[in-house]
Amino acid sequence: MKTLIIETIDPKRIGELATAALALGAESDILAIGTGDIPGQFNKAFQTDEKVAVNLVPSIAQLIRDEGYELILLSATTVGSEIAGATAACVGAALISEVIAIGDDHTVIRPLYGGKAVGRYKITQFPVVLTIRRKYFEPAVLTGVTASIPLLSAEGPGIRLIADRPQQSEGVPLEDAAVIVSGGRGVGSLENFSLLKEMADCLGGAVGASRGAVDEGWASPTQQVGQTGSIVAPSVYVAVGISGASQHLAGIANAKCVVAINKDEEANIFNRARFGLVCDYKAIVPVLTEVLREER
Amino acid sequence: MHIVVLAKVVPDYEVPARDFELQQFRAHSRYTRMLGLYDENAIETGVQLKEKYNAKLSILSYGKEDDIPILRKAVAMGGDSLILVSGISDDPYVIASNLKMAIASLGEIDLVLAGQQSADMDRGVVPGILAQMLEYPFIPRIRKIEIMGEDWKVEQQHESGSRELAFSGKGVLSITSIPENVPRIPAVRAIFAAKKKPVEKLSGISGIAMNIDEISVEVPKMESICEFLPVTDMRETAKILLSRLREERYL
Repeated sequence: MKTLIIETIDPKRIGELATAALALGAESDILAIGTGDIPGQFNKAFQTDEKVAVNLVPSIAQLIRDEGYELILLSATTVGSEIAGATAACVGAALISEVIAIGDDHTVIRPLYGGKAVGRYKITQFPVVLTIRRKYFEPAVLTGVTASIPLLSAEGPGIRLIADRPQQSEGVPLEDAAVIVSGGRGVGSLENFSLLKEMADCLGGAVGASRGAVDEGWASPTQQVGQTGSIVAPSVYVAVGISGASQHLAGIANAKCVVAINKDEEANIFNRARFGLVCDYKAIVPVLTEVLREER
Repeated sequence: MHIVVLAKVVPDYEVPARDFELQQFRAHSRYTRMLGLYDENAIETGVQLKEKYNAKLSILSYGKEDDIPILRKAVAMGGDSLILVSGISDDPYVIASNLKMAIASLGEIDLVLAGQQSADMDRGVVPGILAQMLEYPFIPRIRKIEIMGEDWKVEQQHESGSRELAFSGKGVLSITSIPENVPRIPAVRAIFAAKKKPVEKLSGISGIAMNIDEISVEVPKMESICEFLPVTDMRETAKILLSRLREERYL
């Protein structure tokens, strides 16, 4: 099956897609978005430095037609969203988003209802575009680099980039953190998030947040963990004042150990937790920080 | 200026996983139905644009007639009209085809707004497909929209920050949630007024569905393994927790 991976130049993201491609029995070509070397050994490596992925849709559609790709893989990210639906419609491809597992005989699994259900789908139409949810596929180890072929550009919609504002995060990026201390509406205020930050710092971790806390303005959108925020897979995820809505749990499905701190013993988060503390977080978080500092 | 907001009525997305049941591969029909999680952010964004630029705001939905009472909330929030295309398909191409047909019936429009993703199928793909069918650009995860001269200036949230983009002409934008677009609670007077507004009902078209077989939909088994630690002496609790995390090699 002739396969095209479309991804920004990020070894982890490309590695996850390479793993997904292999699970479908396919060796891949790649369209790398960005500048620099393309990591890994691919049959063909196309490259573009276009900064707005939406503008690439006509060029990608042309590439798919010219090269006869049957399977197109993207990460379920903002760039993936910009490309997947429009490109699929452009080339008349089937489209399955947020794939979390791949089975035999071209079957894929994806969540529904905020992760409360999972559906199994058999691909019977090609070409097909799949977006792969981050952190569900172990990234393939990419060795070497592949020489790039410039992507032939077709006229796009001409979206212009005015400004790029990467969030300046102190310490470990959320997606790579081995420990995440995450707060929900139960944290109560922006100021109280500093308690979580102190604890995360002691553990060499990052601070995350639920959608509710982000909506309250207590944390930045880049800190949002969940189905529509970051998908994370830390070793330890400390959920502070988080009720455990299924949309949030979908973002921590691959966390190895969840510690839940919540006053409400009926909170759904305890169903996902390995360790539970039914108490006011203000009584335990500062003490945990203090003990961690003493241990240094 | 004419803005169309896409809204989908979905089963209660706050039903906890432990209570969630399926009926013929879909959420059990006993669950309360409501406007989609991000659709409400899109409606709020549309209402703010209407207020700022004196725009006309149409609410467009593909679904069942039973959804109309729930969709009236969008009108109560500030929508000027409500259009329902009748249909029951879950296929994104069929849904997009129906929405395209309805949009064509609305005359001149400037922007189509949608929630980042629906709260049932969780796909987030219909707006992109629709955009291509309309031959408009599609930009996902938008948090702010304004007019800049002859162009639209939009702010997009992405995984590592945000960025500003500009485009001219029409577009389909999916809206993410931020504190500034938390949906307003409609006033009682607006709720009553919304009940009296006529609803334009359009018959759905069959469209061409994707050739994908849905083999099964299941509720995954969730077995709680939570070990509750004592919380009488917090210092002791902290030490026990850290010790257990290390014993089990999580830390």
